[in-house]
Amino acid sequence: MLELLGWVPLFPFLGFLILVLASERFSEPLAAWIGIGSVGVSALFVSLIGFEFLNGTMQPFKLVLGSWIEMDDISVPFGFYLDALTMTMLFVVTGVGFLIHVYSAGFMASDPSYARFFAYMNLFVSAMLVLVLADNLALLYLGWEGVGLGSYLLIGFWYKDPNNGYAARKAFVMTRIGDTALALGLFLLFTQLHTFDIQSLMLGAENQWPPGTLLPMVSAALLLGGAVGKSAQLPLQTWLPDAMAGPTPVSALIHAATMVTAGVYLIARTHSLFMLAPTVQFVVAVIGALTLLIAGCSALVQTDIKRVLAYSTISQIGYMFLALGAGAWSAAIFHLLTHAFFKALLFLAAGAVIFCFHQEHNIIKMGGLRKAMPLTFWSFMIGGAALSALPFTSGFYSKHEILMAVFEVSPVLWAAGCLGALITGIYSFRLVFVVFFGVQSEVVEKSPGWCMSAPLFLLGILALSGGMLQVPLGTVFPVLTSPDRDFTFNLVSAITVAAPLLGLLIAVLFYLTGAFSAQRLANYSWAKPLRLFFLGGWGMDALYDKLFVHPFKTITRLNKNDAVDGLYLAIAWLSQKLHLLVSASQTGRVRWYASSLVLGTVAIIAIGLLS
Amino acid sequence: MNSNQLAALAPIITQSVAVLAVMLGIAIRRSFVFTCCITAFGIIASLLALGFAWTESPVHATLLIRVDACALFFMALLLPAGLAVLGFCFDYFKDREGENEELLLLLLTALLGASVLVASSHFAAFFLGLETLSISLFVLIGYPLKQTRPLEAAIKYLILSGVSSAFLLMGMALIYAQSGELTFSGIGHFIANQPAMNVMVLSGVILIVAGLGFKLSLVPFHLWTPDVYQGAPAPITAFIATVSKGAVFVLLLRYFVSAQGYAYTPLMTVFSFIAVLSILIGNLLALLQNNVKRLLAYSSIAHMGYLLVAFIAARSITHTLAIESVTFYLVAYFITTIGAFGVVSVLSTSQTEAGDISFYRGLFWRRPWLAACFTLMLLSLAGIPLTAGFIGKFYIFTSAADGRLWGLLLAIIAGSGLGLYYYLRIIVVMSINIEATEIQPGKPNQNRISMAMLAVLTMLLFWFGIYPDLLINVIQPVSHAME
Repeated sequence: MLELLGWVPLFPFLGFLILVLASERFSEPLAAWIGIGSVGVSALFVSLIGFEFLNGTMQPFKLVLGSWIEMDDISVPFGFYLDALTMTMLFVVTGVGFLIHVYSAGFMASDPSYARFFAYMNLFVSAMLVLVLADNLALLYLGWEGVGLGSYLLIGFWYKDPNNGYAARKAFVMTRIGDTALALGLFLLFTQLHTFDIQSLMLGAENQWPPGTLLPMVSAALLLGGAVGKSAQLPLQTWLPDAMAGPTPVSALIHAATMVTAGVYLIARTHSLFMLAPTVQFVVAVIGALTLLIAGCSALVQTDIKRVLAYSTISQIGYMFLALGAGAWSAAIFHLLTHAFFKALLFLAAGAVIFCFHQEHNIIKMGGLRKAMPLTFWSFMIGGAALSALPFTSGFYSKHEILMAVFEVSPVLWAAGCLGALITGIYSFRLVFVVFFGVQSEVVEKSPGWCMSAPLFLLGILALSGGMLQVPLGTVFPVLTSPDRDFTFNLVSAITVAAPLLGLLIAVLFYLTGAFSAQRLANYSWAKPLRLFFLGGWGMDALYDKLFVHPFKTITRLNKNDAVDGLYLAIAWLSQKLHLLVSASQTGRVRWYASSLVLGTVAIIAIGLLS
Repeated sequence: MNSNQLAALAPIITQSVAVLAVMLGIAIRRSFVFTCCITAFGIIASLLALGFAWTESPVHATLLIRVDACALFFMALLLPAGLAVLGFCFDYFKDREGENEELLLLLLTALLGASVLVASSHFAAFFLGLETLSISLFVLIGYPLKQTRPLEAAIKYLILSGVSSAFLLMGMALIYAQSGELTFSGIGHFIANQPAMNVMVLSGVILIVAGLGFKLSLVPFHLWTPDVYQGAPAPITAFIATVSKGAVFVLLLRYFVSAQGYAYTPLMTVFSFIAVLSILIGNLLALLQNNVKRLLAYSSIAHMGYLLVAFIAARSITHTLAIESVTFYLVAYFITTIGAFGVVSVLSTSQTEAGDISFYRGLFWRRPWLAACFTLMLLSLAGIPLTAGFIGKFYIFTSAADGRLWGLLLAIIAGSGLGLYYYLRIIVVMSINIEATEIQPGKPNQNRISMAMLAVLTMLLFWFGIYPDLLINVIQPVSHAME
């Protein structure tokens, strides 16, 4: 049964090929059946494989399908590697991916490029599956770039609006910075350890490199660069809010549930390397903590429903990085899993609101939708609760595990995490209260069909109960020493649980009961610039504009008549002149031709005899 | 002569019989289709006879001819090339006025000359083969008697060929005067046993190089090429560019390997000089050329220069690799050049020869398959991957790099860059979108045989470009046999 693994990424890829080759010739239902069906079959295979794997010994399973690159000392197979970590990722990608595909069938209905949408989605899923299945870094990189391509194509899906094209390019370029670092890391590892195979690399690193020395530090730092780009962490996080230009199912699948977690997966997959570089590992935690605070503050003031969720995604991935940095590997992956459930749920619910409410994105113009859209409202309630980690939701278990582990490493980082949890509570319920409570301003024009409702319903159940899932990651990661639960620890635990509840309370006071007014707060002279600062994502875009874009534009302006081009123009000019020169010898006269034969012969005899 | 020598000569005898059969056939019944059938049958029979000869090889059939794997391989390359040219000739000449049957007779004699040339091991066979080939070519070039251009081309080729043959004979005479030998191996022994370099022999070899350089249109003996290529009927141009040049090049290689030509260092200086000039001047001449036939003529000068680099490399690297490179390059060159001229031939009508580049404007919209085929041929000539031309060029690069011929390598790189420009220019012209009204409906010409030939050539182009192993496995024993 495990041999079916090879088919898992192949089905979506075939779906992509069929849909692309047929372009828009298929009818909408047929395109949907192919697009959804291919992912569905993959999901089915994954559940079969998962059933056997989880009931078995859970020993890592390797499957080599063929050879990709075969040279003297380089050998890169199309090899897949299955362990508990891969299994978890497979469940997330195919399971959540399948639900989002089903949802898309309704959401994208009557879009003129219906088949193209499913083609891109299939391409993305296929690449993501290659990424998580790859047994070597080269193949992983193929998947890594594949998801980048898929993300670019889908953000710019509605390409007729130039802004969407801009957002797509921004995402592509920003992640590319990280990709370059990853590629360098990959080359470094290969030149030092002479293999691309991840398991051999980790083993080789552990055996040959003493902890804390330069080589593991540099290679871990380069891999971290890649992870930071793909997972939208500080300082490469600016692309994710703009990526919301894509259709909402895309935001749910790529920019919340799967692709952006690729960085987390990469670090978890190469955790042995990071354990050899404790400084870099601590940097991972610091990046996570800073990102979760910065993104959380920005999420507080956004008015676009999707941008709130985008910033919350950055912030939640910050938690995963925090966990990775603290060495709580399985907690990070656990949070990745639950986050995939509740964030996909929130995005899809947001999509339903947008779908039914005149394509409106501004939450200030919404209100009182509780009655009109009960399913969406409850989805949002559950999603918001899980996002803020209210007790007994799925998010609670994973986030609690993370914060407990972080406290062991650094109480300061723990405090940042708790502050982040408080902020999360505020913005999650601000969203829920502003959109669904209060006075309804306009009537809802349509209601979501079953193919949008069913995924919401299922994801709602998963977001509530996902915390019960037992992820058997102990076979992959080193087990943390269980902390002794003394008094301080109980206090810490209590604070950790209380932080989001406090956030909920603040949100209730400000946005539900009206005891305090956010509007009045915003009118204070000190608050205005702060609000704008948060709204613009801490001015990072402006900073990068000043630091990189402007100097670059200046340089291009200075070198408008490319100096290097001059060389090539000169070559072209010289060639033309030489052409005219030698053409003059072609007179068409036989007497000249004959004499040239004689002259030529004399010349070569001279060369032959004199040399 | 015993029976196995006779068997070894079977391909050459079969060709001679075919010549007679065609002549008699014409005497009995003057029909172009009928004559074409006999000719094709004759060529195929000669191909089959190769298998017969294979069982006897290697063997010296008389003093003049040595039938070995190398000779048989190149006959097996020349004969199908002749068959392809025959196919294009059929479509090209079938609707033209005049008595076109003798053309096929001459095609067969030319092939016979070329076959003798690749198998010759003696100056007499060498000269006989060369002249049989050349004299047939004079008439083939000027075959459309009533047009001026072919006639002009034929006369130019006749006169200049005469001059070059004079050089050739003089060279042979000088060598004979010194060594008293006419066989290649005898000359080789003589040179190997000489304590010092013999100036007379050296001059003789250089004169022979000049004579052969004319046939190969190497700079500075290249001036005739564009005029003759332009004037000759397109299928005949294909024949000159491939069969004639290929056979002469093989002879040159054979002569140098068996007659110890590589022992003389100054000769290599001469060859390097010729190669660099051929590559650069050939490509420069083609650069802004607006006549496709002339352009292909100039590019063939450059291709002969590339071939010469591998030939020179044979001095410093193992002979087998150099011969392997030359052989593969020749095969790729045959396929693409015949294909390219085949396209020109298909496009030509009985009124006009499709030389000017304006004929190719928007060809992709009028004849997409033909344009695609031409594009592939041009890409192969330029040495773009996935085509046979790429593997050929790769071989040349390998030989040059192995032989540490950095200057020559530089010339190849510069030449390839220039080459890309003018090959791509034709492709651009073909893809220019023209107004629908500009497309003359005209009567669809029936060129079924030519199109089939082009399809086969295109498939070979891809096959040898993507899976060269099969051809390489065939070539390797050939390169061993020549030593």
